[in-house]
Amino acid sequence: MKFKGVTLNARTAVYLCLAVAFLIPLGMDPDGYLLRIVSMVVLFAAMAQAWNIVGGLANQLSLGHAAFFGLGAYTSTLLFIRQGISPWAGMLAGGVVAAVAMLLLSIPLFRLRGHYFALATLAFAEVLKIIAIHFADLTEGPTGITIPYGEPSFANFQFESNTSYYVVIVALFAVVSLIFWKLSTGAMGFRLRAIRENEQAAEVSGIDTYRIKLGTSMVSAFTMGMCGTVYAQFTYFFDPESIFSMTGISVRVALICIIGGMGRLWGPLIGACILIPLDEIAVNTMSDVAGLGPFVTSVILIAAIIYEPRGLISAWERLRRRAQKKHAAQSGQAAGAV
Amino acid sequence: MLLEIKDLCAGYGAAPVLHNVSLSVDSGETVSVLGANTAGKSTLLRSISGITPVRRGSIKFDGHELIDMNGKDIPKLGIGHVPEGRHVFPKMSVVDNLWMGAFCKRKDKKLAERMDGIMQMFPRLRERASQLAGTLSGGEQQMVAIGRALMSNPKLLLLDEPSHGLAPVVVDEVHEAIVRIAKSGVAVLLVEQNAALALQVASRGMVLQSGHAVLEGTAAELAANPDVRKAYLGI
Repeated sequence: MKFKGVTLNARTAVYLCLAVAFLIPLGMDPDGYLLRIVSMVVLFAAMAQAWNIVGGLANQLSLGHAAFFGLGAYTSTLLFIRQGISPWAGMLAGGVVAAVAMLLLSIPLFRLRGHYFALATLAFAEVLKIIAIHFADLTEGPTGITIPYGEPSFANFQFESNTSYYVVIVALFAVVSLIFWKLSTGAMGFRLRAIRENEQAAEVSGIDTYRIKLGTSMVSAFTMGMCGTVYAQFTYFFDPESIFSMTGISVRVALICIIGGMGRLWGPLIGACILIPLDEIAVNTMSDVAGLGPFVTSVILIAAIIYEPRGLISAWERLRRRAQKKHAAQSGQAAGAV
Repeated sequence: MLLEIKDLCAGYGAAPVLHNVSLSVDSGETVSVLGANTAGKSTLLRSISGITPVRRGSIKFDGHELIDMNGKDIPKLGIGHVPEGRHVFPKMSVVDNLWMGAFCKRKDKKLAERMDGIMQMFPRLRERASQLAGTLSGGEQQMVAIGRALMSNPKLLLLDEPSHGLAPVVVDEVHEAIVRIAKSGVAVLLVEQNAALALQVASRGMVLQSGHAVLEGTAAELAANPDVRKAYLGI
């Protein structure tokens, strides 16, 4: 397509559409339900992208990312409430706490592979949940923490309008995605690909598999911790059950990646765009019959995985390839006719 | 001596596998290690590559002491390892698999030349250059694994059961490749259960039994040894 001398190829067109799509919510009603859902979609996309770093790139399937999410939320919130430290600094502190937790966890964990790794991470998040419930002096226990709403200010990470939160969440998604992209390309991308495909062969090719896996999982934990802070500031309330939730956080972020496309840059966004609205619709329209909502969403998700086991992003790629083939065939015919 | 191993003890955590094993390989020489399953042959190669978790003793290679070295630094010194069981990167093309072998030397300017040399040695790989390695036959995968190890231009090639699980015709092909590699001046440390093949290729050999070196000698000596003939050659 040619437009005022600028050639617009399909790739830039897609990116332009995407950029516009990110801008649309800025015009939405700041107090509206819709903007909140859109923000949740992008936030979950960011969380899933954090998971994608270790789950998609290093192929270490974690079912306990709620642990790092919760550590980030608790660290920044407690620093803010008890010490008056800005949640922006708390966000980095939360990331560090999450990364250190991953480091300690890696000592026993990296001896495990596959299902056992997944189960151990799942257990870790559950243990943190119980700790948060029982050490009430530190964490306020099972009642959870409400962040006091003060004067809206940037330093306090409190904004008057939800539009500002939306901007922060989009920026968070952009940062995590940039990190993911950096890790998935270049020499590091090859290292991770080698580890993913055959760890032994990677080892004898001179790749320090242990250190690379540890590094990526710490980056993943760090970014997940940052997401925890943003979530806490966005919702103003959380408790151990919701923040360390297995189904609500850990499994959900993994599922978003699996549905969208594991190890792929745009997989988490695609997955979040499907999963979060689906859950929301199910809650709003099918709550009369107990269990109907989760049942319907589960059926849809199972169908999606059967239809596209490598994520919905591969459906998009197939469409594109078909279009390219058609295009090539047409231009070939045209050339033949001449 | 290119490689000189002295009193090597190695194993996995609390389970020792090798006990005071000593072995040397000269530049350009081919040495075979024989032994039954679980004798410690693979562990010996993995210890040289620095990937067994526990190592004691001394492994000197080309003036470097490897015993405390991290496995990621060892390929750079000139050791290529072909692990047991044809470990290729299944979803990478043949060419990308070969490039991965030179990952530790990716600034080297002679890589294209070397890739060409490997393609000449294994013409089959040139035919299948852009095919995914996981779709190749067993023998072709073994060629990819050997080619990948050669991409780093090693002085010493560690081959772990290269003929394992291959059809007899393919075994011959791999066998010929090993001879050619040895002739090109690369030292080879060959671990084989196929003792007849191993002793044909090698100039010297060693027999491992339950982690102990029980016998050493030239290939001819070993081939003439009654115990070896009975236990490994089935004569």
